[in-house]
Amino acid sequence: MRATYALIALLLAGSALTGCATVRPSEREVLSRPEMNPADDLEEEIFHSHVEAAREGAFGGHGAAGGGCGCG
Amino acid sequence: MRLRLKTLAPWLASVLGAMFVVWAIIGSLQADDRVTIRGNYYREVSTRVLQPLVIVHKDVPDERLTIGASYMLDAISSASIAAGAAAVTGGDNVFTEIRHETTATVASRLPNWTLGGFFRYSTESDYISRSFGFSVARDLFQRAGTLSVAYSANLDRTFQIRQSFRDTVPWTSADPDDPDATNLVQIHYLSLGYSHALHRTLLAGAVLEGIYATGPQDNPYRRIDGALNESHPHLRRRLAMTGFLRWAVLKAHMVVEPRYRFYHDDWGITAHAIDPRIHFRVAKHLRLRLRYRFYHQTKAYFFLPMDERPYPADAEYISADPKMSRFLSHTPGLQLVVELDGLARYNRLKWLRGAFIEATYNHVFQTNRFGAARLGNLTLSIPF
Repeated sequence: MRATYALIALLLAGSALTGCATVRPSEREVLSRPEMNPADDLEEEIFHSHVEAAREGAFGGHGAAGGGCGCG
Repeated sequence: MRLRLKTLAPWLASVLGAMFVVWAIIGSLQADDRVTIRGNYYREVSTRVLQPLVIVHKDVPDERLTIGASYMLDAISSASIAAGAAAVTGGDNVFTEIRHETTATVASRLPNWTLGGFFRYSTESDYISRSFGFSVARDLFQRAGTLSVAYSANLDRTFQIRQSFRDTVPWTSADPDDPDATNLVQIHYLSLGYSHALHRTLLAGAVLEGIYATGPQDNPYRRIDGALNESHPHLRRRLAMTGFLRWAVLKAHMVVEPRYRFYHDDWGITAHAIDPRIHFRVAKHLRLRLRYRFYHQTKAYFFLPMDERPYPADAEYISADPKMSRFLSHTPGLQLVVELDGLARYNRLKWLRGAFIEATYNHVFQTNRFGAARLGNLTLSIPF
């Protein structure tokens, strides 16, 4: 459980830090490319989540809402 | 998707697939009206799955309201079946079972908000699955960040095939005389995600996911030591935490994507998945993605490895499910995406603007008895 708490603390710290940084819309050309968009792979991720659910005891790790690129 | 008839808890794989529909709804809003035709393929020693899929999204009239529908056919061919179902199929023969799955989605893109919902119905000979869900995403910091919440639920009924595919009885995984016994599997999924552009070349994200599942969660057909029926707890609480980065290395025309997921549940399984990927822009309209995934899990607290069996006579839960065992896997993979915009410069092919063809191959090396597996898919996606 210690590792779990450490990971939660890391995620919270990361979230706090990301809140301080903002990239202006005019600087988001690179971020708008398909390979930078987490939502671009979702159909592929759904397929892998199916397979992993059928063959592994764990789940998750495939969902991501994207965003951050201002291109939605 | 049921990868192997009679050796998987039938509803479970479908249930877990349904959860990610809530994310896909949001993703679909970043495209235009589009039809996608996809073929998935899975192959391991004794099982083959062919999975054609059609997805359509349409703005009516614009992104403030987008509706979608999809249909998927799951054709599962198995070379052998578990003990207990031999009488149904005539023994150790190749046979194929079909699953039908339909999904309807609705979504809305408003200033700084994205809303979505879905309903899915899936059926085959020994289970019926109904699932629904919704998601809300809020853009923050001038759309540099996105905070998302998603919820979905499954209300499924599972059955056991007896003498023929049309002769089924509800499967409760309980004492037949128990008045509270039910074949209803309820799964509630909740996730919280956040992604943020840290730099003009760097995106970071984290997702927290949880599942609360009740009902029979073992396999109606799997026997242990040739005699006892498998028995798993009826309650399972699961938690997964994922973090990822996408960093564009401009001089190398590539994007580096480290990804890690931690998982833990109250059945005692703890798992780690390290899944780094590298995306290359090989040519103006050609992308290549390389992937390597390392996965490791501990065993469920009630699972006994083969060398420690038989189970004690008073064991409350018993299992022969390889997914409950301790194992690890390695998965290298590659993906090619050909964007068809180059062809759209010709008048007769203007309709290909925004279209693409995607091909993916992954090979799984794992230490459990499922053995090596091959996964592939081919996709054609066209806007209209």
